[in-house]
Amino acid sequence: MKILIVDDFSTMRRIVKNLLRDLGFNNTSEADDGQTALPMLKSGKFDFLVTDWNMPGMDGLTLLKEVRADENLKNMPVLMVTAEAKREQIVIAAQAGVNGYVVKPFTAITLKEKINKIFERLEG
Amino acid sequence: MSENTTENSQESSYLTDEFLNRLKALSEALESGNSGIIHGLIDEMTTLRESTLYQELGKITREIHESINAFSNDEKVAKLATESIPDAKERLNFIVTKTDEAAHKTMEGAEATMVLSDGLSDTAGSFRKRWEKFRNRQLSKEEFINLNDEIDQFFDAIDDNSRKINSKMTDIMLAQDYQDITGQMIKQVINMVQEIEDKMVRLVTISGARSAPIPEEIVDGEIAEGPQLPTADKNKVATSQGDVDDILASLGF
Repeated sequence: MKILIVDDFSTMRRIVKNLLRDLGFNNTSEADDGQTALPMLKSGKFDFLVTDWNMPGMDGLTLLKEVRADENLKNMPVLMVTAEAKREQIVIAAQAGVNGYVVKPFTAITLKEKINKIFERLEG
Repeated sequence: MSENTTENSQESSYLTDEFLNRLKALSEALESGNSGIIHGLIDEMTTLRESTLYQELGKITREIHESINAFSNDEKVAKLATESIPDAKERLNFIVTKTDEAAHKTMEGAEATMVLSDGLSDTAGSFRKRWEKFRNRQLSKEEFINLNDEIDQFFDAIDDNSRKINSKMTDIMLAQDYQDITGQMIKQVINMVQEIEDKMVRLVTISGARSAPIPEEIVDGEIAEGPQLPTADKNKVATSQGDVDDILASLGF
């Protein structure tokens, strides 16, 4: 399982990376915004995308839309981990095709739950 | 009520004795029907009224001009723009750097500690089977000697790793010193923002009610806004992961 973690803050990428490793996902890569992430996704054979929303360059919502619009990437599960907490934003992300939405600050248990839920649904 | 009072005081500003005397004279002239006097009086009264209005207008203009001058000559305002705001930006950037460093130092410590404790737990696990065999008297002499040596080494490793873990924990603790410095800096910035707020309020007071009404904020849900305050309106903002899950559930997630 190859996972791409996208966040403009290196500390947050490091936290997510550590938590994913704890869950047994060792194969992770990092990008600091959508613009860097998109070419990586297109060429890198990733299985799962964890992205922040608010980033310079290309934000996470745009990245999500780009992924859904790409023939090869459109089925990739996407988990949004973000501080954006307005009701309408969550609705918009859901409409754009996000598979899970975690608000910051989050706990290790929440992240684990959401990731498990995404994979359960994909398998089921 | 208050509007009427203001209007009355404005109206009365030109209702001086000079004006009122002419008004009386006008009513007498109307009775006598002397059109020459009537026209003369009306002209005089118009001039009187206009000159009072111009005087009032001049006074208001001068007051506004003086207020704006006082505001722009206020050294503190100049200092805010040229020193305090750049200074605050520098402080906030410093806070970002400091907290970033502290977070990384803390994570380095935590990651290193995890490796050390995992090492101990793995070694302990490798003993378990052999220890059970030993208790059941199934361990050969040679195996026992090996186990004995390894246990000796394990005690050394526990000692060594505990010391390392302790040192990493001290690093983690010391990394939290950013809170003191950044806390003080944030307070300095808060004070500066307070000062700007006071000045802005003064500026708004000078311009009075002449400013246009504040347009309602246009919300575009597609634009990232960053974190919300915990005190945000619960009808508009999810304040916990539970809220987010409820919203998603209502959309069929």
